[in-house]
Amino acid sequence: MKIFIDPPNSLILYDLVERFGHEPLSTMAAIQEKIDRTEIDMPPMNVSLEDVMKGLKYAGIEVPSGVRGRLAVWGPMIEDAEAAIIMEDCPYSFGCVGCHRTNLMVRYLIKRKGIPVLDVNYPNDEDEGKDIVAKIKEFLEGLK
Amino acid sequence: MNVRETRLIVISPASHITPDQLTRTIHAMGKNVTVKESCYGAVIEGEKEVVREVISEVRKLDVNGIFSKVRAFRVADPRRCRAHHGTRPGFAQLEQEWEDLWKIHRGLDRTDKGEKASVRTERKKLSVEGFKRICEVK
Repeated sequence: MKIFIDPPNSLILYDLVERFGHEPLSTMAAIQEKIDRTEIDMPPMNVSLEDVMKGLKYAGIEVPSGVRGRLAVWGPMIEDAEAAIIMEDCPYSFGCVGCHRTNLMVRYLIKRKGIPVLDVNYPNDEDEGKDIVAKIKEFLEGLK
Repeated sequence: MNVRETRLIVISPASHITPDQLTRTIHAMGKNVTVKESCYGAVIEGEKEVVREVISEVRKLDVNGIFSKVRAFRVADPRRCRAHHGTRPGFAQLEQEWEDLWKIHRGLDRTDKGEKASVRTERKKLSVEGFKRICEVK
């Protein structure tokens, strides 16, 4: 099954989803397509007109361009997803209002889609690491 | 058309494998892939199927201690490669996750032994009194 991971470029989530036999949907794969096919100079910083139009599907014109740009990449992935895993409190996942609003918007889009969702916290110690692995394993095995 | 795949192979800090061992093992396989040793492990690139084969083979060195994810940019892409003074906007995240990989490594070991997720009590908000106790030096 196709699993959306949030943060969408997380090594931990990408590896665990693949390890337990599912296909992770990640930013990297989406950006690779832009590098190989459309040959954009500096993705994801530079975008095409098509990206701008895709972003407008998920957020209005008055929303900051950073939010729309991110949603142009992540929105179609959420549409493809059959389940999602969200990792909360990641120490690197913070930022300005644009980044934060995008994170909230992503969670909203996932919830609105009504797919199975697993919420886990970023591990702070070994026990939490074990909890994350066990929860993800159980969740993904339950999807089969 | 053969689809290329570029992958980061990241070694957990708790693993006994070194990036050098990893790279030499991949070279010794004789597969048609580009391998570049790095501080966290290696970057490999090749046809998708071949890269997947290499990953599953190299994981046998330390099943729970070797992690991987795809990378959008090619190996030595001038927009990312440090030799060309490329930018590494995602490196802060990779560095943080690498530092914490030992927790997942140990988690995988313990899950393999049959341990389950423990039921944890929800974190509560810090009370005003508690906050005062932290702030005020008495």
